[in-house]
Amino acid sequence: MELSSILPIARRELIVAIRNKWTVIFAFVFGSLVLAISYFGTITAGEIGFQGFNRTTASLLSLVLYLIPLVSLMMGTQSFLRNEGEDEMLFSQPVSRSEILTGKLLGLFAAMTTATFIGFGVGGVVIATQTDAEGFLGYPVFVLLSLFLTLVFLSLSMLAAIISQRKTKAFGLALLLWFFFVILYDLLVLGGSLLLKERSANYFIFASLFGNPVDIVRVAGLLSMKGGEVFGAAGAALLKFLGGYGQAIGALVVGLIVWTAAPILASFRLLRDQDI
Amino acid sequence: MIEVQGLTKTFGQFTAVDGVSFEVREGETFAMLGPNGSGKSTILKSIAGLQKPTKGTIAIGGVDALKTPLAARKLISYLPQRVGFHDCLTAHEVLEFYCRLRKLPISRIEEVVHSSEFNFNGFNEKRVAELSGGMKQKLGLAIACLADAPVLLLDEPTVSLDPAGAIAFRKFLKTLKEKGKTIVFTSHVLADVEMLADRVAVLVDGKLTAVLPIEELRQQIADKNRSLEEIYLEYASAA
Repeated sequence: MELSSILPIARRELIVAIRNKWTVIFAFVFGSLVLAISYFGTITAGEIGFQGFNRTTASLLSLVLYLIPLVSLMMGTQSFLRNEGEDEMLFSQPVSRSEILTGKLLGLFAAMTTATFIGFGVGGVVIATQTDAEGFLGYPVFVLLSLFLTLVFLSLSMLAAIISQRKTKAFGLALLLWFFFVILYDLLVLGGSLLLKERSANYFIFASLFGNPVDIVRVAGLLSMKGGEVFGAAGAALLKFLGGYGQAIGALVVGLIVWTAAPILASFRLLRDQDI
Repeated sequence: MIEVQGLTKTFGQFTAVDGVSFEVREGETFAMLGPNGSGKSTILKSIAGLQKPTKGTIAIGGVDALKTPLAARKLISYLPQRVGFHDCLTAHEVLEFYCRLRKLPISRIEEVVHSSEFNFNGFNEKRVAELSGGMKQKLGLAIACLADAPVLLLDEPTVSLDPAGAIAFRKFLKTLKEKGKTIVFTSHVLADVEMLADRVAVLVDGKLTAVLPIEELRQQIADKNRSLEEIYLEYASAA
C-alpha cells in the first residue's frame, strides 16, 4: 500500500464530510451533550449546575455507547456504498482496492475525530472553567475511547456496505449491527449466564466481553475512572481473570484493535473478488 | 496494444460475454457495436479492471491485466457511461484529486483544460452540483485525458451529450486519434462509429459476430445501397 495513493482519497473524504456539514452537526451534538449532561445531570436530585469531570464522564459514557456506534455506522455506510459513475472512474485508476478503502476509512475517521475534538473539547473547556479539575485526566481517556469506538464501527460499516452492495440492504444491516451490539448482546449474555453454573458463568461473562466492542469500551471507560464498584459483572470478571488494571486495560486495547482490524481485512478480501 | 483471448463473463446462470477474442492495434480506434445487453460494457469494464472475467486473458501493452492489474491500469484511462462526482466539490477539485491519484503535477490540469480541444468556459470553479450532464461528461473526459495514457476506453461516450456536444466530442476524439492514442469505445450511435472507428466489432448476446474494417462496412453500404443500420442489423440477426 502506498501512502501517496491513500492520502488523496482520505483528504477528499474529509473535505466531503466537512462540506456536507456532517462534521459540524456531530461536533454540535457532542458539545451539546457534554454541556447538557454536565449542567442538568443532577436535576433528579433537585439541583442544577455544572458537575465535575468524574460525574460528567461517567454519565457521558453510557450515552456515547449508544450514539457513536449509530453515527459511525450511518456515516460509514453512506460513504462506503457504491456510487456507480464515481466508483467506476475511481477503481479504474492505478490504485489498489485496499488503498481506496483505507483512504476512505482514514478520511471518515479524520472527520469524526475533528467533530469529537471540537464537541468534547469545547464542552471540556466549559466544565474546566466552571468546576474544579478533579477527575480531569479521565476525560481525555474517555475521548480516546470514543474515537476507538468510532474507528471500530466505521470498520464494521465498511464491511456492511461491501457485503450488502445495495443501499437499503446496507443500511438495514448497519442498523441490525447497532441493535445487536448495543441492545441485544448484553441481554443474550445475561440470559446465557443464567443457564450456567457460577464458575462457568464467570468464564462465559469474561469471554463474552471480547465479543462486543461496545462492552469493551464500556468496561475500559469504567476501569479508567477506577470505578471498580460500578463496572459490573464483566469488569469484575476481567480483573479477576487478568489480575490487575494494567493487564485488563492491555487486554481491552488488544480486543479493540482486533475489532478494528478484522472487519477491515474481511472487507479487503471481499472487495478483491467483487465486480465494480 | 490490447489482446483479449477467450473472454467469458458469467453472472450466476447468465452469460454476459461468451468466449470473445480480439486484438486492438496500437493507434487504432476500435468500436464495439451491439444492442443493449450484448456485453459491450462488460468487455470494456473487464479491460479496465473493474470486472473479473470468469475465463480468458487480457493483455494491455504486453502487460497481463489480470495478474498485474495496477501496471495495466497505468496504461489506460477509462470513461464510464455515466460519470458521477461528489456534488460539493468543484470541477477543479475533482481534477486535482485524480491528478494526485495518478501522481501527476497539478500543472497538468491547466494543460488539459486550457488546451484547444477543451472548452471549459469557466466551469472549472463551479461545483459539480451546478454542472449539466454534458458538462459532467466533459469533466469525465478531462480526467481521462489527464494521465495522457496510451489507451482510452470510452463507454457510450456521446450518450448524454446534446448534438453540439456530440459533434465537439467527435472532433476531440479525432485529435486524440491523430496523436496516436489507442481508443476503444462502445456505442449505439452509428454516426460515431462511421466517423471515428478504424475497425468495428459487432456483438450480439455476448458473442462476437464480426470484426470488420470500417472501409469494408462502407464498401458494403455502397455496393448494396443500404444504410449502416441495415448492415449492422444483418450482422446482428445472422448471429
